[in-house]
Amino acid sequence: MKFRRWASALFITVWCLVLSGGIVGHALKMPIVGNVFGYFIVWDMFCGWQAYDNRTHIIGEDSQGNYYEIREPWGPFQPFNSVDRVNYDVSNYLAARHIRNVLRHSSHPQIDRIYVIQEIWGKQYNAPDHLWHRCFAEPRDKVSVFSLRAICAADGSPIESNPDWFLAQTLNTIADNPRLRLQAQAARPYYNTFFNPRASLGGTVDAPVFNPSSSSGLNTN
Amino acid sequence: MSGNQKRTSVFQQLHEFFYAEQSPYGLALVRMLLPAVALIPMFRRFPRVRELFSSDGAPQQLAELFGHGAALPELPPALASGLYGLMLFALVSAIFGFRTRIALLTGTPLYIYFNLLDAVGTMTKYTVIASHVLLILSIPPCGAVWSVDALLRRWKEGRAAAIPPTFPVWPARLIQMLFAFVYFGAAITKVQTTAFFSGEQMRYWMFSDWNYPNPLGELVAMSPAILLTSGYLTVVWEVSFPFLVWRPIGRFYALGFGVVFHLLTIFLLGLYIFPFICIPCYLTFLMEADIVTVRNWFRRIRFPSGWIAAPRVSLARLIAARPASVPLPLLWAGCAMLATVMGAEADYRFDVYGTRAAGKPLPLKTLDPVVARTMINSQRPLREKDKFFSFNIGTRMMAGQLANSGDTFRIGDTIIAQCNLNTPHEDLWVECVVEDEQRRVVDVAGQFVTRDLLFSNFPWKTCDRFVPGRYFFVLKSSGQEIARRAFTLTGDACPVPSGGVGILTN
Repeated sequence: MKFRRWASALFITVWCLVLSGGIVGHALKMPIVGNVFGYFIVWDMFCGWQAYDNRTHIIGEDSQGNYYEIREPWGPFQPFNSVDRVNYDVSNYLAARHIRNVLRHSSHPQIDRIYVIQEIWGKQYNAPDHLWHRCFAEPRDKVSVFSLRAICAADGSPIESNPDWFLAQTLNTIADNPRLRLQAQAARPYYNTFFNPRASLGGTVDAPVFNPSSSSGLNTN
Repeated sequence: MSGNQKRTSVFQQLHEFFYAEQSPYGLALVRMLLPAVALIPMFRRFPRVRELFSSDGAPQQLAELFGHGAALPELPPALASGLYGLMLFALVSAIFGFRTRIALLTGTPLYIYFNLLDAVGTMTKYTVIASHVLLILSIPPCGAVWSVDALLRRWKEGRAAAIPPTFPVWPARLIQMLFAFVYFGAAITKVQTTAFFSGEQMRYWMFSDWNYPNPLGELVAMSPAILLTSGYLTVVWEVSFPFLVWRPIGRFYALGFGVVFHLLTIFLLGLYIFPFICIPCYLTFLMEADIVTVRNWFRRIRFPSGWIAAPRVSLARLIAARPASVPLPLLWAGCAMLATVMGAEADYRFDVYGTRAAGKPLPLKTLDPVVARTMINSQRPLREKDKFFSFNIGTRMMAGQLANSGDTFRIGDTIIAQCNLNTPHEDLWVECVVEDEQRRVVDVAGQFVTRDLLFSNFPWKTCDRFVPGRYFFVLKSSGQEIARRAFTLTGDACPVPSGGVGILTN
């Protein structure tokens, strides 16, 4: 009985500490909660929504120049409403697996290239007709923007990858400033003239061999 | 001396809070309701186990999203489906309270496992809350009352078992505290979220189709006053919840507001499962005395409560009629095994990829080459007008947002023209032009709208130069007309100040 009491006290204490850790970690944005375990103790249910809506389209191309929709022919799973599951993958991690799974379980000619495309439109166009007529005086002419996210091989492995449209748009808004662009360019030397204190100690630290990913050696920026 | 007494008193209070002995009626209610709701999305996914949770499909583990690789094993489809069937059986068994502890200890890890396997389409914060609660329910004897187990024991032991057993109340307290943590954490998230308190974030959510339909939400999305008020009310309630919910009167506010809040999320945000995970958990706040009160009230109004217990009693009778040589654990294990086999069989019969029915894999749908090439090679930039969400005119402001809108004003009013912008957008030069009925420009105002701004206001004093009549506000960006709003000015023109008609210098 005494053991049970102690065990329960220990459980209560640990449980409260863990949940408190989640609150503090989340409030202070500590990386300790940025993992699977953290997902269970962080309550970020409303962490922001985009002003634009988006959908992912995956298109396959065969050697004859024919195009195919890389979408489950048996019917896509829609977890919450009428939006396909692949769209809930905001980070695009699922795309490769999704492509492999659809191609593995469908009949099609040899696919050479697969294009992952993001379709974007303003969320105001999601308003139902009655609301549009009441709140927006303009004609409802929804036009989507398409952004090529990635080009993949037939096995889903990426050959070319572009930033997400939202990120690209944000970066473009900053790069739009010529003064900032100029300052950023001027701040990076054409040749790497950095002194490497670790290399100066002697030994074989990076220096003798050219390593493109290394910070030492020729940097062509 | 008094310090010592105080310390003892605090310790005693804490002891009383966690270890008071009560019959676990609240936990029993949660045990019956929570798995029932948590199972709704899981039953929906049953025909898709092969696709979502097995090595023959496309699972996306939560660990992979965090960059930790596939931390969990992805099982062959037959085994995954079998275990899925076992999970469904175990949680249904927990609802009825048949071998409650073992049912929850079996069902909960499987529930968490399958959720972790599909981070894209199954794992959500409501499954996290459900996982916490199921885990806590696995510890105490929440099957001690209102369960098949309790009925069988009563029938076996007679009157001695009629008195409900009591247990320390701490498991119920942990569920209560979980919600205090959830709401407090959610408030911190909202405080950290840009544009939550100006209503834009709520509006964007309400105009999304990522959750279930929310027609009322779409309507409310165009009312900044409601969005702002509800946003502030929610955060105040979330922060105050832990401080009020254990107070005698405060709990009615904290829980009452909570029920209303969660019910509104159904209609406003299209969350259909989340509220029904949370609201049943509030029942852990019901203590023994509350249950007695509710029971007496049910008796007074002659509420026919017998039918609620009917399924449980019928199942208990069925189980009691088993051959005496079959012990209960063996019966449960047999049923669990049957559910596992049926799960595997169901996967075969569901034939999710359609290959068995068609005799071959289904063909991919071809796409019109023009459409495909347009999508692949499209270089079309965003239209200027799509950088703007809306353009409205009104007279009243609330937290920087236009609180009303109209098209008829009186001379003397200050009219505010407001444009709401979609982010991300670059730094913009936005103009608001006033035109009269003959499209002659009456006035122009321009502003820099920097990339961090979500709205911009153009106030106009109608006394300055307007006379009664019909006018237009025209919103322009990059020299292009974005939107046009007509309005009418009524009343008498303001008198021209003396000396105002001097030499024109422009």
